[in-house]
Amino acid sequence: MNELRKAIEAEWPRLEVVIGWGLGFDPYHTRPLFVRRSEDLSGLIWNPFCVQNLTGYLVKTPVVKAEDKAKKVGICVRGCDSRSLVALIQEKLVVRDQLLVFGIPCSGTVDWRRIAVQTPLSGVKSARFEGDLLLVEDNGGVRKFSPDQYLARRCLRCVHPNPIIHDVLVGEPVPPRAAPGNRYRDVESFEQQNLPDRLAFWQEELDRCIRCYACRNACPLCICQDRCIAETREPRWLTQRMGVPEKFLFHFIHALHLAGRCTECGECERVCPMEIPVTLMKEKLGRIVGDLMGYEAGIDPEATPPLLTFNPAETGI
Amino acid sequence: MSVEDTTPMSGPTIRIVGFLCNWCSYGGADTAGVCRFKQPTDLRIIRIPCTGRMDPLFVAKSLIYGADGVLVSGCHPRDCHYAVGNFYARRRLEVLKHFLPFMGIDEGRFQYTWVSASEGQRWQEVVTRFSEQIHALGPNPGVGFGDGGGLSDSRIGHLSAEGIHGPAAPPMTCGGKAANRAPDEPETRNQKPETRN
Repeated sequence: MNELRKAIEAEWPRLEVVIGWGLGFDPYHTRPLFVRRSEDLSGLIWNPFCVQNLTGYLVKTPVVKAEDKAKKVGICVRGCDSRSLVALIQEKLVVRDQLLVFGIPCSGTVDWRRIAVQTPLSGVKSARFEGDLLLVEDNGGVRKFSPDQYLARRCLRCVHPNPIIHDVLVGEPVPPRAAPGNRYRDVESFEQQNLPDRLAFWQEELDRCIRCYACRNACPLCICQDRCIAETREPRWLTQRMGVPEKFLFHFIHALHLAGRCTECGECERVCPMEIPVTLMKEKLGRIVGDLMGYEAGIDPEATPPLLTFNPAETGI
Repeated sequence: MSVEDTTPMSGPTIRIVGFLCNWCSYGGADTAGVCRFKQPTDLRIIRIPCTGRMDPLFVAKSLIYGADGVLVSGCHPRDCHYAVGNFYARRRLEVLKHFLPFMGIDEGRFQYTWVSASEGQRWQEVVTRFSEQIHALGPNPGVGFGDGGGLSDSRIGHLSAEGIHGPAAPPMTCGGKAANRAPDEPETRNQKPETRN
């Protein structure tokens, strides 16, 4: 869609760099694009194949920032990404004034892995949209997928498709895909199981973990970087041993460090090479924090995440 | 001094890790000792400067590696030596308490409470009740050990001494699950007979 490119071109004089999406190794995959020259603006794209949450690039080394103090960093955010951005602003990890936020109402992104699980594809020739449907042509002919089939899990439970904060809104607001009461349905269906079954589920899932730390690296709010206690020798929380206990503890570290901060953007799950549903843990934590402290992460830039503060008046806790 | 058996119940050895704040609960446990209140002997106490020091991961790690129970105790809210440490702690620990069962770990194995330095009687009640609760739950197999054993001596050795030289990781199969250890493969760290059963 050219709308995003036009909006960015109109603001270009104020910008030093823009973080957006560009074409990846084929037309159905995208990669982050950092535009520093106006002639490169034509590489910017926006479509349901744009899956990356770009806000992490504002805080992770090498940090993208404007050298010229009079200029700003442009960043493209969908609804979920804007919540990450709010969380970063809350914790003073980015300065709002140095950003120009291009907000994009998003009606969901495509998860190729979910499609491949349902229908193995070989040699994809083209993929296009007809209304809600995704039409994929591969060696076996044209196949149709409904949103329930092709959308990423995070998009199926999305209640904030429209950016929470933005300077420029690109496109018309869209209705949320999930009703607020429905957003934790995956957590609820998981909790139908009894305790031993849940443990067995996680043991089996986390046994696959190769501790590549991709989930941590992709997470916009995991900002300890090379001081992450999963890797430090002092304190030494984890050994090099590849047993299930170590993997379990690593995921506890990741999840508990995000309790009350995680905006459930689903990046950890998207990047996991072993397809472990790691976001499920963060969804549960988000729900706990919502139930106990009435807090939803990434909504109010002025709020303090609940585990970074306290309330003496609380009882029953 | 002749010591009678103070273990309230017979049965398997139970190891409970207690994280006690230096200023209140550690003093409370001391008071209970000075007053010679009868206490169960399952508790191993770790003194921390304040419950604000209490990282929920201490609890998670203990339970993953097979501690049978974890008890955290500090100053009563509003009585913290550092004014606000336990206000932070109670939020973190409450979140953890709700999160543990989601991961398949019994939340009954973890408890946090508040005991002041003068409450020796209350300390005795807390620790007796918690110990009874853990005895009812039985030994904690830990996560992913697959041997049904709790925090046995051999496992403690594995944790501290083997470290990075521990048993080789099972081979990975590409794109699939790690091959599980064959059931008949000898496991050196469990060759010692289980002493607890």
